[in-house]
Amino acid sequence: VEEESGQELGLDRSTAKDFHFYHMDLHDSEDRLQLFPEENTRMRKEVVQAEMANESRGAGDGKAQRDLQEEVDELVHLYGLEDDHELGDEFVDENMPRTGVSEYPPYVMKRRDPAREQRDWRLSGETVEAEDLGFGGWGSAGQCQDLREAYRYTPGRASEEYECYVIPEEEDEEEAADVFCVTCKTPIRAFQKVFDEHKEHEVIPLNEALESAKDEIHKNMYKLEKQIIEMENFANHLEEVFITVEENFGKQEQNFESHYNEILETLAQKYEEKIQALGEKKKEKLEALYGQLVNCGENLDTCKELMETIEEMCHEEKVDFIKDAVAMADRLGKFLKAKTDVEISAQPEFEDQTLDFSDVEQLMGSINTIPAPSAPVINPQAPNSATGSSVRVCWSLYSDDTVESYQLSYRPVQDSSPGKDQAAFTVTVKETYCSVTNLVPNTQYEFWVTAHNRAGPSPSSEHAVYMTAPSPPIIKTKEIRSCEEAVLICWESGNLNPVDSYTVELTQAESPEASDVTESVVGIPTCESLVQLQPGRSYIIYVRALNTGGPSVRSEPAAVHTIGSYFRLNKDTCHPWLIISEDGLSVVRSERRIPARDLSSSDTRFTRCVAVMGNLIPVRGHHYWEVEVDEHLDYTVGVAFEDVTKQEDLGANCLSWCMRHTFASSRHKYEFLHNRTTPDIRITVPPKKIGILLDYENSKLSFFNVDLSQHLYTFSCQLHEFVHPCFSLENPGCLKVHNGISMPKHVTFY
Amino acid sequence: YFWRRMALTQISSNKCFGGLQKVSEHDSVQLNCKMKFAVYLPPKAETEKCPALYWLSGLTCTEQNFISKSSYHQAASEHGLVVIAPDTSPRGYNSKGEDESWDFGTGAGFYVDTTEDPWKTSYRMYSYVVEELPQLINANFPVEPQRMSVFSHSMGDHGALICALKNPGKYKSVSAFAPVSFSGYLGTDQSKWKAYDATRLVKSYPGSQLDILIDQGKDDQFLSDGQLLPDNFIAAWTEKKIPIVFQLQEGYDHSYYFIAIFITDHFRHHAKYLNA
Repeated sequence: VEEESGQELGLDRSTAKDFHFYHMDLHDSEDRLQLFPEENTRMRKEVVQAEMANESRGAGDGKAQRDLQEEVDELVHLYGLEDDHELGDEFVDENMPRTGVSEYPPYVMKRRDPAREQRDWRLSGETVEAEDLGFGGWGSAGQCQDLREAYRYTPGRASEEYECYVIPEEEDEEEAADVFCVTCKTPIRAFQKVFDEHKEHEVIPLNEALESAKDEIHKNMYKLEKQIIEMENFANHLEEVFITVEENFGKQEQNFESHYNEILETLAQKYEEKIQALGEKKKEKLEALYGQLVNCGENLDTCKELMETIEEMCHEEKVDFIKDAVAMADRLGKFLKAKTDVEISAQPEFEDQTLDFSDVEQLMGSINTIPAPSAPVINPQAPNSATGSSVRVCWSLYSDDTVESYQLSYRPVQDSSPGKDQAAFTVTVKETYCSVTNLVPNTQYEFWVTAHNRAGPSPSSEHAVYMTAPSPPIIKTKEIRSCEEAVLICWESGNLNPVDSYTVELTQAESPEASDVTESVVGIPTCESLVQLQPGRSYIIYVRALNTGGPSVRSEPAAVHTIGSYFRLNKDTCHPWLIISEDGLSVVRSERRIPARDLSSSDTRFTRCVAVMGNLIPVRGHHYWEVEVDEHLDYTVGVAFEDVTKQEDLGANCLSWCMRHTFASSRHKYEFLHNRTTPDIRITVPPKKIGILLDYENSKLSFFNVDLSQHLYTFSCQLHEFVHPCFSLENPGCLKVHNGISMPKHVTFY
Repeated sequence: YFWRRMALTQISSNKCFGGLQKVSEHDSVQLNCKMKFAVYLPPKAETEKCPALYWLSGLTCTEQNFISKSSYHQAASEHGLVVIAPDTSPRGYNSKGEDESWDFGTGAGFYVDTTEDPWKTSYRMYSYVVEELPQLINANFPVEPQRMSVFSHSMGDHGALICALKNPGKYKSVSAFAPVSFSGYLGTDQSKWKAYDATRLVKSYPGSQLDILIDQGKDDQFLSDGQLLPDNFIAAWTEKKIPIVFQLQEGYDHSYYFIAIFITDHFRHHAKYLNA
């Protein structure tokens, strides 16, 4: 180590004998290695200077050196000492901080040579040995602090060394030098220039030399400063790595502990089982043997008794003997007939039993493997994260378990028949999220996830319900009604299940500066919305459906122009004899009378008067439309309340206000009918196009001859609710409505 | 011009609906006598020039009848119209026959230039109304010469219509109350009034966009006398395609009481063209 470091650091002076350089970056040393040579070239320069200074014994130079020392001290305090003191204070109670220093020697810095730059990280000889001490005991946080303490700069020592470095120069000073010899790079006294070795040398004023020396020193100070910062960063990095190592090993320790404990427990359990089984077996055998023994003893007793009895018999009288012998023979015969058990019921040998250690082996084998992960935590659905066909499911793992993959399962939530769950789908992903596609819009799905590694799967997470966004609504373009200030827009949900709400979005068409501005009306609960607009503009309108999963994509656009009032004829009110055109703006009564089937009275459909109503937007304000008529046609045009009696003629009640034209015997008759009455008004030029102005604000209904800009008549009418345009044809012909047009100027006077 | 202006004498000036109702007198060149006329200046006329609306009164009237009885001031004030009401005929000649009949002579100029003695030199009401008076008004009051209309009552209707028909474009609009002269009265003396035959003039009228509003009381004494035959002349106007809205107002007679209720409709009618 010594040789290598010496070469690498470019130490050509052999003062490095005592030094032991050690690359203390344990984890990532490449950067650090590069730093050292750089430092040392700089160092050398300074060393040379210092030596020069020694030789010249210049007073100014000495001062500069003092300055340098002070500044360096200051820096040392700034960057190193303060922190270290703090750390030291905090951990006063730590076990032997001194030992800490020697225990983790790689971080100790020693400066032995005052002439050397003090930045090197140096090791004393014993530190190399200490390296082998290992990190066995590094489990606690306190020891971590020991480490920090260990690599600090030793403040006392540093200042001591600086002192040594400076003081000799001051002492060597004899007389003040006043000029500087550039050639010798030393301050001299002026008179020395005249003779001696400086005779031919270039000499500059001492102050100048001082300035340049100061500059040089300041530059070096800056570099030092940078170096300190770099080292600080490095130290922080080390600290981080330290903590990580601690954590990782701690985890592994726990892992080992639990595993070994498990194995030991298993073994102990097995031992207990075996011992117990053995004992039982032993007891059983002994009992059997004992039983046999007892039995045997009993037999023996009987035999002996018989023997005695026989012996006694032999001493008896003949007659008695014979008597008894017969009885005895029977008894003996019986006794001897009984089988005497001489087989040993229990073998003394230990029956060989195989010991099953497979489970233990498995446990042993698993010591070096990781544990199976714990159950992931599935997140609730993030708002607006779903589309109509996909959801993005996210989950997380609270522990730092090693996970190789996740299995995400899902199935649609079934409202009915909970027993019959649909088959679940499963996808395997490596990330903690998954975009699941090809789903049905506006549908709830439940998701759950398991984490997997080599050790197996985790338990399942909770089930979370995610919802796909709805399908886009479908705007009923034929039912759009508008006026200058508003539009009434209707749509079909587009979804079978109900959605939470709808959003109407509007952008102004044909206004380049505002084309990107989208206004939204949100939270609409029904499939209809009356939206306020600016007059005289063109809008593109979209509708979205919303549920908890998010918004649907936009519906197909619908164009709306807020020029005049726009409406279509209402088919629901149309008399069976009338035919409404495709665009909903013309109505025809044909020559041929179709027999009216639906002539039963109705609340919505005209049955007597051959009429139809228009769907005017329910907005109070001005509404203007025009009706193209044939001047020989009998027609009635005007307005009526929605609930006007459908069995009466228009104008024949107080719920309608109408202009009626009848053409008889080549004379035109114009009536302005309300409640069956009309003023006597003669009109000389039959209008071909009738303008109708409905003015809620002033409670007026006016009629005009559009071509002549001629005012025909104005009703004053109390419009307590909304009215609709109405049209009737008294004989075959056609009426054509023109709307969505701006009001002519002449109309504005009425 | 200067002389004429100097010749204008203000007789009265009264504030009314924010404006001023004035009566002035001047020496008429056409009529060769002193003529009075009424001018109403709406508040708007203080700051800018306003359109002028000429009222031609009926038989026996002076400039006073209209300004005191018709209640027109509010409508004129709101629409910003200068309203000029001249006298109906020259006065003070004491010529033969002048006062013999109420419907000819004093108070009954019919707004025509007479061709016969004794009125030929001074009964030039048409020229007075169409030329001299507008020039005087244009020179002395804040009016826009390009924007003028005419309306009338009874006998004045003839004048109003003739003025409009004979001077296409000069008058923006025409309206009338209880028009007498549109019918039989003119018809009785067709040869004399040929130049002022409205129906003939209609034929040669270049612009068809002359929208005429007529209000007629149903209880008008002239209507019952048969001097007004609305059905007939409506049929005639219909045939000629003169655009007229003729409103027969139930229960109203020929008087200014009738005019007072419908005057606002007529002002709106004129404002529609004058303020367009």
